[in-house]
Amino acid sequence: MPTEEARTAIELNVNGITHRLDVSPRWSLADVLRHQLGLTGTHVGCEQGVCGACTVWLDGLPVRSCLMFGVQAQGHQVTTVEGITPSTGLSPLQTAFQEHHALQCGFCTPGMLLTAQALLDRNPKAEEGEIRAALSGNLCRCTGYQFIVDAVLAARDAGRDA
Amino acid sequence: MDQAMRPQMMGARVSRVEDPRLLSGQARYLDDVDVPGMLEVAFVRSPHAAAEIVAMRLDKARQHPGVFAVMTYDDCPVMLWDRAEYDIGQPCLAHGEVTYVGQAVVAIIAENRYVAEDAAELVEIEYRPRTPVLDMREAILERPRRVHAETSNVFFHEEYATEGFSEAFDRAPHRLSATFRTNRQTAVSLEARGTAAMIDAASGRLTVYASTQSPHRMREDISNLLDIPEQLVRVIVPEVGGGFGMKANCYPEDIVVAKAALAYRKPVKWVSDRTESLLSDVHGRDDIHDVEVAFADDGKIIAIRDHLMADGGAYPAYPFSGAVGETSLAARVLTGPYDIAHLATVIDCTYSNKVPLGAYRGVWGPIASFIQEGLVERVARYLSLDPAQVRRRNMIRPDQFPYRNAAGMPYDEGSYLASLEDALKLIDYDGFRRRQQELRTQGRYLGLGISAFVEPTAMASSEAGSVGYESCTIRIEPSGRVTAALGLGPTGQGHETTMAQILADQLGVRFEDIVVLHGDTDSAPYGGGTGGSRSGPIGGGAALVAGRQMRQRLIKYAAHLLEAGEDDIELGHGEAWVAGVPDRSISIRTIAQTAYTDVKKIPPGLPIGLELTERYLPKRPVSFSNGTHIAEVEVDIQTGIVRVTRYVVVNDCGRLINPTIVEGQIHGGVAQGIGATLFEALHYDRDGQLTTTSLMDYLLPESTDVPRMVIKHIETPSSGEGGIKGMGEGSLIASPAAVANAISDALAPFGAMVDTLPVTPAMIRAMVS
Repeated sequence: MPTEEARTAIELNVNGITHRLDVSPRWSLADVLRHQLGLTGTHVGCEQGVCGACTVWLDGLPVRSCLMFGVQAQGHQVTTVEGITPSTGLSPLQTAFQEHHALQCGFCTPGMLLTAQALLDRNPKAEEGEIRAALSGNLCRCTGYQFIVDAVLAARDAGRDA
Repeated sequence: MDQAMRPQMMGARVSRVEDPRLLSGQARYLDDVDVPGMLEVAFVRSPHAAAEIVAMRLDKARQHPGVFAVMTYDDCPVMLWDRAEYDIGQPCLAHGEVTYVGQAVVAIIAENRYVAEDAAELVEIEYRPRTPVLDMREAILERPRRVHAETSNVFFHEEYATEGFSEAFDRAPHRLSATFRTNRQTAVSLEARGTAAMIDAASGRLTVYASTQSPHRMREDISNLLDIPEQLVRVIVPEVGGGFGMKANCYPEDIVVAKAALAYRKPVKWVSDRTESLLSDVHGRDDIHDVEVAFADDGKIIAIRDHLMADGGAYPAYPFSGAVGETSLAARVLTGPYDIAHLATVIDCTYSNKVPLGAYRGVWGPIASFIQEGLVERVARYLSLDPAQVRRRNMIRPDQFPYRNAAGMPYDEGSYLASLEDALKLIDYDGFRRRQQELRTQGRYLGLGISAFVEPTAMASSEAGSVGYESCTIRIEPSGRVTAALGLGPTGQGHETTMAQILADQLGVRFEDIVVLHGDTDSAPYGGGTGGSRSGPIGGGAALVAGRQMRQRLIKYAAHLLEAGEDDIELGHGEAWVAGVPDRSISIRTIAQTAYTDVKKIPPGLPIGLELTERYLPKRPVSFSNGTHIAEVEVDIQTGIVRVTRYVVVNDCGRLINPTIVEGQIHGGVAQGIGATLFEALHYDRDGQLTTTSLMDYLLPESTDVPRMVIKHIETPSSGEGGIKGMGEGSLIASPAAVANAISDALAPFGAMVDTLPVTPAMIRAMVS
């Protein structure tokens, strides 16, 4: 102790704020967000790119933050669950998740929210089949998905009425 | 408003108080626990199923920059099961030999996980491999060798038979035999296991953050195994990202992390990655049943004989063996909801060179239901009877209660026949049969599978420990707001919401004025944690009993301060008032202020303050929920792929606390059941290597694999507090049998009958060719 591991200075734009960080080039984006920036809403469920719990947006599109390095996110806009949460209260999609009991243990929830919100932003008229297909890359072990799908449908309909 | 007409929180579809923190990314799980100077652990795990450790060379790892310490058994000489329930104990770090792939051998403690994993690569261990013991039937015969030289492979054996079994079995007009096999599966909580330990600067005590279902049990284990006085250990359970029984154990890693924090006086954390999770979380469901059934011409089942075998892995999981749990309980509930007079069972649990078998949601149930419902299906097909009709003929009738089954288990009154009839209506059974016939002529194979189930819950002894009761502390603060605490260990079930619902009704305070604490042994009263579907009936029962006690105290205050009779006092919305005279009222807040600060006004005989702890031990040793699931599937006989197309559930778990939460539990259990039937299997190769060590190999159901479910509730109250029965596991107990029977039904033209879980596309192709 201590390590002599080389670090690289990077600028990372997360949730609209630019941070200057010294990171090891091999740290995953998920680890940088969680352990350097304290944004622990991004969860790491498998580090194999399968479960989707670590989903964040890169320039508005969902990506697996366990499958890319923090240094690779330079020059991009990163958005995490903290970034889609209003300063007070919850977003319409988050509110729909609560009203429809779309979460139990909550571990997959941030990834689900980011995937579902990206879908609704892209396709505000998404049908149930499209919603299920979009969410199929996010594993949930608690809910059996039905109430998650219901919540996304409700948020879609609320957005339509708005 | 009249007392009797006021809406009750119990039974209401209340949104969860847990959700805002979880939805906004503010919840704190184990890996979110971070303190300055915290070290992280990586384990070097065994690459062999069985081998002698000849030599270990640790210098390179020790000298690696950023490494703080390297631990072996000599640094943490702790054995699980040292209290000698079995002839062997499990060393927390391997000692002289390894007995399964994934067993922890060396712990590297370093400044972060990346560095710890670098150093783990530098550890050199010389092994002398042994022949692995991998086949259950062979292992029972002590072949190819004993897993542990000092003791037999069969570590649990039990036999049982009803009086007159042989005569009844032999005299029966018909007999069938079948072998049922369930392959290894595991819980795969989305949040893997993890532990963090540190010495509390203020008190000097050991604080352990643990992702566990049983906080007090964990404290007891750490205290006993590391010989630390119990009052000097505090266990804090942060948010837990799923458990499903798998997090009810105390694991070797928990002890090593706590030992490291004590030995090096540093905060230390270990979080399992997914590969480690599949290699070291307890497995479940590794069972073989050789079954015979005897029955009459009309489909009435007379007797069942079963040789139950389970592969317990290299050690009994601590502090309870899943193999013993899966077999011994299956043997006691093998007759399910049916009135079957005769039962004979033989149980053999064996060691092998595989991961220890522990609890996974449902434990015994998915296996026993698969057998019991599979037998009914076989009887029906053999006699060319409608499977629904065979179920009606065998079902326990309402006039048979109080009922004890052939193994002596006392059943609760339920809706055994009613749930079956309702489920058949919901799925439109007759309409389905017509559609099935039509589509078969077009080469499409639809099937419908019925699964009527019982779910023994709230047992005096379950995987959450041998604590048969639960505790609830209520403290009404001087402001009139309520702090309650229970000894539960929720992993997503929403106990902060459901327990507050129960308390709000009893205390007459607003739901949002209650906070429910759990998971910190400093604030929670001693309890058994969460597991075995006990938190609703036993935890809820404790909340009811404690709430009622506090209600009585509030009534005495109100009667005294309002100068009225106690019988005339009503409570609600944070107020107490005289019945029929709402103007004569006093707020709970004022009562609380009196109790704490205006103590001269306290009614005679009452203590100062508003705080109490009550415990609830159910009178009955077990509470039975019941219900019926029906699955519709379509099987593509070209590809062997099965799609679950429709699904109905009729569920009776007694009085509902929160129907929405109950439905969420059912949905999740059915999804896990679909996974258990179609996708999930842990596979060992012939060398004892686990080849399913990622979620690309161990497949979980996705949103496109799970159909929309229709749920109907029936409420047959239990005789326990609040009429509540447990329900966390029934959906996974029933669903594998429903889906398996649906596949058998779809493939009836080929004479196929499912006898192995999961049913893979290759197996289906073999069945139809």
